[in-house]
Amino acid sequence: MYLLGVQSVPIIFVSLGFVGLMMILELAFHMRLVLKHDALVPAFSAVLMVRELGPVITCLLLTSRIGAGIAAEIGSMKVTEQLDALKMLSIDFIDYLVIPRWIGAVFSACTLTVLSIAVALFGGAFLATQKLGTSPGEYLNTVFFFVKFSDVVRCLIKAAIFGTLIPFIAAYQGFTCGTGSAAVGEAATQAVVRTSLSIIIADFILTYLFYAI
Amino acid sequence: MEASRKLVRTFGGMILFSLECLVLTFQNKTKWNQVVEQIFQVGVRSLGMTITAGLFVGAIMAIQIDLQLKDFGAEAFLGGLSTSATLRNVGPVLIAFLLSGKVGAYTSAELATMGVTEQLNAIRLLGANPIEYIILPRIWAVVISSFLLLIVGLMMTIFGGVMFAEIIGVNALNYIYNIPSIVTGWSIALSVVKSFLFGVLIAVVSCYKGYYARGGSVGVGAAVQSCSVTNLMLIILFDFLLSMASSTLQDLFNVGYL
Repeated sequence: MYLLGVQSVPIIFVSLGFVGLMMILELAFHMRLVLKHDALVPAFSAVLMVRELGPVITCLLLTSRIGAGIAAEIGSMKVTEQLDALKMLSIDFIDYLVIPRWIGAVFSACTLTVLSIAVALFGGAFLATQKLGTSPGEYLNTVFFFVKFSDVVRCLIKAAIFGTLIPFIAAYQGFTCGTGSAAVGEAATQAVVRTSLSIIIADFILTYLFYAI
Repeated sequence: MEASRKLVRTFGGMILFSLECLVLTFQNKTKWNQVVEQIFQVGVRSLGMTITAGLFVGAIMAIQIDLQLKDFGAEAFLGGLSTSATLRNVGPVLIAFLLSGKVGAYTSAELATMGVTEQLNAIRLLGANPIEYIILPRIWAVVISSFLLLIVGLMMTIFGGVMFAEIIGVNALNYIYNIPSIVTGWSIALSVVKSFLFGVLIAVVSCYKGYYARGGSVGVGAAVQSCSVTNLMLIILFDFLLSMASSTLQDLFNVGYL
C-alpha cells in the first residue's frame, strides 16, 4: 500500500506546482486592488497554502487516486467472490484489507501534503521573482515570518484526518457493492463523491475549531 | 519514455474524440430530447451535493480571509475579498473537483459498463454509430449540466460566506454591501468562462475514458479511477492557464481594476 503513495507523487507534484503559481497570480491581483501594492503577496499565499489549500487539494487528488482504487479493488474482490474465500479461510477481512490501507493512506497523506506545500512554495517563489520582482531570499524570509509552527502542526492534523476518511469510506463502499461490473463502477463513483464531500465538510469543521474559537 | 508516449496517445485520442463529436454536432445529429433526459439523470441528482459543497467552500474561504485580514484590521474588506477570491479561483476549482467525481465518474462508469458488457458492440453490429447514439447526448448533457451546477454552486458560496460572516459577528448587510466594491464584471466573466471550460473538460474526459474502457469489472474500476485523476489534473492546469491569460489581458488593456 505504500506503493500507492509513491505512485501518486508525480501527479500531486505537477498539480500543486500549478496551484502555487495560481495563488501568486490571484493574490497579486487582489492585493493590487485593495492595498495598491504587492509586497505581502508571498506571505498571504504561503499562509493560505499551508492552512487550507495544501492539505485539501492534496487529499482531494489522493481521493480520486487511492479512494476510487480501493473501492474498485475491494468491489471487484467481492464480485469475484474473493471476499467469500477469505471468510472461508476465517481471515478477518477488516484486519487483512482495511488496516494496512488505513496506515498507508494516513502516512502518504501526511508526507504528500508536506511535499506538495514545498512544491507549491517553490512554484510561488518562481513566479514571484519573475512577475513581482521579489528576490527568492526575500520570499523565503516573509514565508518563515508569517507561517508559524502551529500552522504546520494543524495542517498535518488535517492531512491525517483526511487520510483516515479516504480508506474507510472507500472500503465501506467496496464491501457494500452489489453484483456485476455495473456495481463496481457505482461503488467507485460513490466512494469518490462521498469522500470528497466529507473532506470539504471536515475541513470546514477543523478550520473552525482551530482558528475561529 | 513509455509514460510520455502514453500521455501523448491519451491526449491525442481525447482531441480526436472531441473533434469527432463536434463534427457530428454540426451535422445536426444530436438527439436533443435524449440530451434533456440525460440532463435530468446527471444534473438534477447532483444538485443537493453541489449546494452543500458550495455553502461549505464559501464558509471556509470566509474563515481564512477573515483570519488574514484580522492582523491588519481590514475586516471591512471581508465581504469583497472573500467573495472575489472564491468566485475567481477557489470556488470553480473545488466545485469542479466534486462534480468530476459525481457527474464525470458516473458517466464514465456507465459507459464503461456498456462497453464491457458488449452493449456498444451490439449497437455497432446494428450498423449504427455508438458515438452518435450514446456519446453525443451524454457529452452535451454533461457540458450543460456541469456548467449550470457550477454557477449554482458559486452562488451558494456567496451565501455560505454571508452565513459565516453572520456567525462570527460581521454584519451580513455590510458583507453584501462590500461585495460589488471589489468583485468586478471582469471577475464574474472569468468565473463563468472557467465554469464552462471545466464543464467541457469533465464531459470530454469522462466520455473518452468510459468509451475506451476494457476488461471486466476491474476495467470499469480502472476507468473510473483514471477518469477522475485526469479530470482533476486538467482542471488545475486549465485554471492556471485561464488565470494567467486573464491577468495578462488585464495588464495589457488595463481593464478589470478599480
